[in-house]
Amino acid sequence: MKKQNEKQEMSRRKFISLAGGAAASLAAMSAMGMPLDWALNNTGIDVESLDVNKISTDVLVIGSGMAGLFAAVKAHDAGAKVLMVSKGRLGASGQTPFAKGIFAFDPEKEDLSLDEFVVKVSRSALGTNNNAYTKQMAQHSLARVIELKEWGFFDSSLYNKSFSKPIVERNITVQERITITHLIKENDKVVGAAGFSIDEQKVLFYEAKSVILCTGAGGFKPNGFPICDLTHDGTIMAYNIGAKVTGKEWNDGHPGKSENVAACYDGWGDMFEQKPSTTGVEIRHDLGVDMNYVAYNNGSPLKMGPPGSGEQTKVSGGPYTPEEFMRHNDTPPGGKEGGRPPKGGKGGPPKGGKGEGAPPGMGGSIVGGSSAGMSIHKSEGLVPINDQCESTIPGLYAAGDALGSYMAGAIYTQIGSSLAGSAVQGGVAGEAAAKYCKNINSIKISTSKMKEIEEEILAPLKLEAGYSPAWVTQTLQGIMIPNFIIYIKKENLLKAALAYVEELRDHHIPMLRASNMHELRLAHETKNMIISAEMKLKASIMRTESRCSHYRLDYPELDNENWQVWLNIFKGEDDTMQFEKQPFNTWPV
Amino acid sequence: MSIKSINGCIGCEECIKSCPTDVIRLNPDSKKAEILYPEDCQICHLCRMYCPVDAITISPEKTIPVIVSWG
Repeated sequence: MKKQNEKQEMSRRKFISLAGGAAASLAAMSAMGMPLDWALNNTGIDVESLDVNKISTDVLVIGSGMAGLFAAVKAHDAGAKVLMVSKGRLGASGQTPFAKGIFAFDPEKEDLSLDEFVVKVSRSALGTNNNAYTKQMAQHSLARVIELKEWGFFDSSLYNKSFSKPIVERNITVQERITITHLIKENDKVVGAAGFSIDEQKVLFYEAKSVILCTGAGGFKPNGFPICDLTHDGTIMAYNIGAKVTGKEWNDGHPGKSENVAACYDGWGDMFEQKPSTTGVEIRHDLGVDMNYVAYNNGSPLKMGPPGSGEQTKVSGGPYTPEEFMRHNDTPPGGKEGGRPPKGGKGGPPKGGKGEGAPPGMGGSIVGGSSAGMSIHKSEGLVPINDQCESTIPGLYAAGDALGSYMAGAIYTQIGSSLAGSAVQGGVAGEAAAKYCKNINSIKISTSKMKEIEEEILAPLKLEAGYSPAWVTQTLQGIMIPNFIIYIKKENLLKAALAYVEELRDHHIPMLRASNMHELRLAHETKNMIISAEMKLKASIMRTESRCSHYRLDYPELDNENWQVWLNIFKGEDDTMQFEKQPFNTWPV
Repeated sequence: MSIKSINGCIGCEECIKSCPTDVIRLNPDSKKAEILYPEDCQICHLCRMYCPVDAITISPEKTIPVIVSWG
């Protein structure tokens, strides 16, 4: 490891000299009369005169999807002053607007007891789930669903109105279209966050006794899956101030359509227009990466044909499914967690009978890997130190997809549990954060820290020349998204991709340019995606086995002797990426 | 093309607020929504679904920019 660190340090130093060299040679090219339009950053903003605002609160909730809603409501109800900031809009942000099924465990209606439910989920998840969070999700799901019903959640396909009801009733302030780029830590505790408005050309600081990240997960802005603006912002901000994160080797396995691959809506058909509904117990082992394996072996995904097309799609080997959870039909995987509501609202996902098991709206040929860059819901994000959604940094909490709770495990085990888990964890985190605040007297972000962060936020606007975030993102997508890198993994190609990603990290991140606030957001998103790619590749290289949604062609078997562990990632004292193993169903040391 | 056109906008800003990727902005002169960053559209249709007057037309195709060695 030491050798690798030295290498990285070398490349950083080399970068500094290179960056200077690049600027100098640009000047020389310009002097020679060579056109430089492609590199110049025509900033239309007077960066030096941007307003800087500071607001104080007890609990700062970042994100306004399902987890953010309950975090804000429950923190408020527990006596805290709450402020919510959102990159998008309340109820229309992150992946929440597209999730249409929410699991509700009603002990009176289910055959399985709560404990039996947890045991069965764990069998499907091959031990990768965290039993405490699996149980908590099921235990509190019905109560959250009842509250949602009271707010009108099940009455409309659009969630802004129902989400606004409890927020307005409690007079909780919500700031929308704010991009948070930094968490702030002083004296080993979280003291707030910082970011900017994309509309008002303002840098914003939030002093908070506690921060709850409800920032969702992310991807590489892939085509065909509604990850939209999620770029692992919360995870990377937390990693940057020393939090432990986890779960980067797993892969979400949702497919897309081969026609108009970029069209999220068309892939999911009319599902986005439907009102949400509840789901009951049905424990599965929904892989997704098995489709990537078929496509990898058979070539063109088009050959896979429509769902239910039979023998021609079969190949030997590939990702393992426990016998108990095998579906002996041709139902493709990928029932959207929180996904398609049942026909007629009778409960349960679409049944797996031949010809009726197509993922929602995907009547045509389907292609694996539409959500590239995202792990299984709830299985990546901040490492919790207990079942109260508390991170390794005092005062910092996370809920929903921002928390690596392993609620479902490294595979999809229960339809609708993702949305339920976000609601439940939001509530738990809100109450825990409010309680934490009661013991914090005052917090202050130092002027020097504010200056330092402001510089980092605005850096892309100040560059005279550099790389456009759109191009760097496209380059990253080209490196990471191919099936043979991110899904069907093998050491030599993971290492090859890592070499590219390290180049982007060292040479391109510092040169990401932005000419307006829209591009400034893209620049910070791109930076986060690059660091997440580094995490994903390194974690994938380390886990020398195949389990659930992590498939290694060179290590295709389960390795229970060495790998009944989660992989945590954190920033070492020398700023390099470090890894540690944490046995399943334990808390970090 | 992704998001294609906005016809009959009443300037309520619902589409602007609900777009996850900041594709649409309010034109300061006309006070109506305009498509400013179509390349960032992920074709999720939230803008269309939130529009109260059904003014937005969306195409399922996306123009992927050509690959170049610099940017």
